[in-house]
Formats: sequence, structure tokens, C-alpha cells
Amino acid sequence: MEQPVQTETWKARSLEDLVRILHQIFAEDKVSVEEVQALMESYDSNPEEWLQYAKFDQYRYTRNLVDSGNGKFNLMILCWGEGHGSSIHDHTDSHCFMKILQGNLKETLFEWPEKKGNGEMAKKSERVLRENQCAYINDSIGLHRVENTSHTETAVSLHLYSPPFDTCNTFDQRTGHRHKVTMTFYSQFGERTVC
Amino acid sequence: LLAKNNRLGGPGSLPKGLGQAPLARSLRVLNLSGNRFAEVPPALLQLRGLRSLSLGGNRLHSIPPDIQELRSLDFLYLGGNFITSIPPELAKLPSLKYLVLCDNKIQSIPPQLSQLHSLRSLSLHNNLLTYLPREILNLVHLEELSLRGNPLVVRFVRDLTYNPPSLQELAGRTVKTRNVPYAPSDLPENLVRYLSLASNCPNPKCGGVYFDSCVRQIKFVDFCGKYRLPLMHYLCSPECSSPFSSASQSSTSQSESDSEDEASVAAHRMQKVLLG
Repeated sequence: MEQPVQTETWKARSLEDLVRILHQIFAEDKVSVEEVQALMESYDSNPEEWLQYAKFDQYRYTRNLVDSGNGKFNLMILCWGEGHGSSIHDHTDSHCFMKILQGNLKETLFEWPEKKGNGEMAKKSERVLRENQCAYINDSIGLHRVENTSHTETAVSLHLYSPPFDTCNTFDQRTGHRHKVTMTFYSQFGERTVC
Repeated sequence: LLAKNNRLGGPGSLPKGLGQAPLARSLRVLNLSGNRFAEVPPALLQLRGLRSLSLGGNRLHSIPPDIQELRSLDFLYLGGNFITSIPPELAKLPSLKYLVLCDNKIQSIPPQLSQLHSLRSLSLHNNLLTYLPREILNLVHLEELSLRGNPLVVRFVRDLTYNPPSLQELAGRTVKTRNVPYAPSDLPENLVRYLSLASNCPNPKCGGVYFDSCVRQIKFVDFCGKYRLPLMHYLCSPECSSPFSSASQSSTSQSESDSEDEASVAAHRMQKVLLG
């Protein structure tokens, strides 16, 4: 992604509006990371607009597809119960935007392990993302783990991945060993996916 | 009843007559997370119909053995407390599907926990675990297991310290292995309970049972073919431990592959389970 000559300052007035503008942006050949991040942040989370996608699972976090971006991107909503967290994972050479719609999520960044991976993985940094904030990551920045560390509140986040991907690597923090996994959707376009 | 994020915790937080109220039989969901409970209020244990209980983010230091009174419980959230150990009685909850113990100070998991036949999800991350009992492989319905943030031993460790069994333990073993018949009316309640906590020796040639006294050997089982998890093999006496358990280098690898064989079937089941 490169900086276009003129960067628009978008204001998404609703989730539908956000999707519409994303389609517009991604129809171009060149897309700016800053532009997308600013657009995502500009949307003021309104639960009425996304509640239909926010399907929680008792046992782990869920991925709920909202829009498939004409093949250019995937937009999905992730629902995190109390204490739910992800493994350390990469992003298969794609761009990843993560915006908090409700609650808080802790993001811990890790360095890539050595190829052989035989020691504890190195933590780079951690931060807590608040409502409406939007984070960005890609493989050149590093790996991350995302967790809802609250024992009393659930969390909901909006993710955009471009290009879309359905496999990634998960990493064992103690050894750096990696393991390829296929990701699935808990629901698509508001409908529960039958496994 | 959702009463989270209050300042409940002092004596009298829950009404004393709770057990006698109609609510005791009808209440299904109780959320007391984000309060200041330093112990599980005894009145709570009278809510026989309770299916879902959350005491996350409180100040609990222990779990009362009488938690087993909540026979209908399928969801128990105790994350974010100061719990240091788990009573084996927790395993007596027949319907428990989801158990959250993350963000506590737990040092070991009792092997009896494998008796939670309905368990689908077990959250143990951010505790003080250095090993796991091998019985954890017996949780056949387990789909999710989180272990991150525990000081799990990575290198092979062998610890053959052994405390001789007590008279009660020896008597209990005899009752169980000889199938001596007994009824709850024959014995004091605490002994009936004790006998029900017997664990089977994992050595298939032994077929014995043990209660508290065992030889600990930490062996590794390969999960996902990618990394090793330390498991604790509880064996009922040093003679019972596998003939390969001498200190020489070659037998180390043999006993490792031995344990891998016997655990590989169960481990296959667990491959998708670990959340890293």
C-alpha cells in the first residue's frame, strides 16, 4: 500500500457507510494504510448496527463475517467472552486492521522467532486498546496475541484483512514453534455457519 | 441474577435465608463478578438449580469442597482471583462443561479433575503450573484448553521423591482393588467420600489404585508434533513405575517413546485443543 497523492479524510457515519467507503477505497489500485485506519477510527461504534453479527460462543472467541469486499478484503466482527484470548499468530502477508467496538482488548506484540525456534519468544510491547481505537499490524511489524483480559465484561472488535486469508500460523510462546491453522467463520453475514 | 461490579463481599452480602427461599430452586444464572468476595458465600451453595456461576474478578483464595453441592452447574467462572489450589471435590460436578480458572495462583491440578466427563472447555492460563497430571488426557470431550502464561517445565525432569502411603491410603487401596463391598451406611461420610476419590494407576499391568501417595515422574508427551508438554505420571509405587525408569541415557529415550505410545492415542484427540 502506498500513499496516494491526495489522502481523503473520511467520516463513516454508520457501519453501512463504513462498508460503502471501504468498497470505494479498495476499488482503487493503491490503498493507503493510514487512510483505512483513519476511516475505521472515524466510525463511532453503534451496537444497534452490528448486534446482528455479534454472536458469542461460551468457550472461545468467534469470527463473524460482515462483508467479503468483492474479494479485496474481509470485514468481520470478533466476539470475545470474559477471559477469551487468541494464540500468538501471524497474518499471512496481509494487512490487518482491528477496531474496538465494545470493551477493551489487550494486544501483545512479539518478535518473529528464529527459524528453528528453540526458546521463549520475545515480547516487544503490549497495550490495551479502548473503544473506537483502531490498531494495525502486518507480518513485517511482527506477531501478536489479542486477549480480553476482563473477567466481568465482554469485548467486540471489527477486523479488516486485505487481501483475505483463511490460514495462518500460531506460535507456542515457550518455544517459538509454529503450527499452521485454518480459520473458520462462526457466522457469515449474520447467519450462523453450520460446521 | 446479574450483580457484577458492585462492592459485595462482606458478611451478609447474600441473604441468610437464601437456601430456603423459592429462589434456591429456580435461580439458574448468577453473576457476581467484579465484587470483593474473599470466600464463596456458603448461602450460595444452597442454590441447587444453579447452572451458571461467575465469581470472576473477586478476592477468592480457595474453592470450597462443598462446591459439589451445585449439582446442576455447567458453567463455572472463577478467573481473576487468588486461588492457590483446586479441591478434588470440584470433579464431582457431573454437568460441568466450562471451567475457567485463569489468572489465579494455582500450582497443580488434581488428577481427579479428569472425572469431569462433560468438560468441553478448561481455561488455566496465567497460573503457576509447572506440570499437568497425565489424566488430563482422559477428558475426551475437551475442545479447548488454555495453558499459556504458566511456568511449564520445558526440559525433561525426573523427580522420584516418594512418601510412603498412610494407613488410610493402604486400607483404601485394599477396599478398592479387592472390591470389598461397602454402603454409605457402613462408613462415616468422609470415608465414603475418600473412597470415591481413588485414581487408577496408569500402568496397565498394575491395575491398582492410589489416593494421595504416588511416585511423580514428569514425562513429556508430544502435542501437535511441534512441542512438548510436561505431564505428571502418577504411579502408585516405585516398583510400579516402568522398568525403564533407571537413570541411564538410553532408557530415557525409551521411556519417553513408551509414554508417547501410550499417550499418543489420547494426544491425537488433544491436538486441536491447545490454545498456545
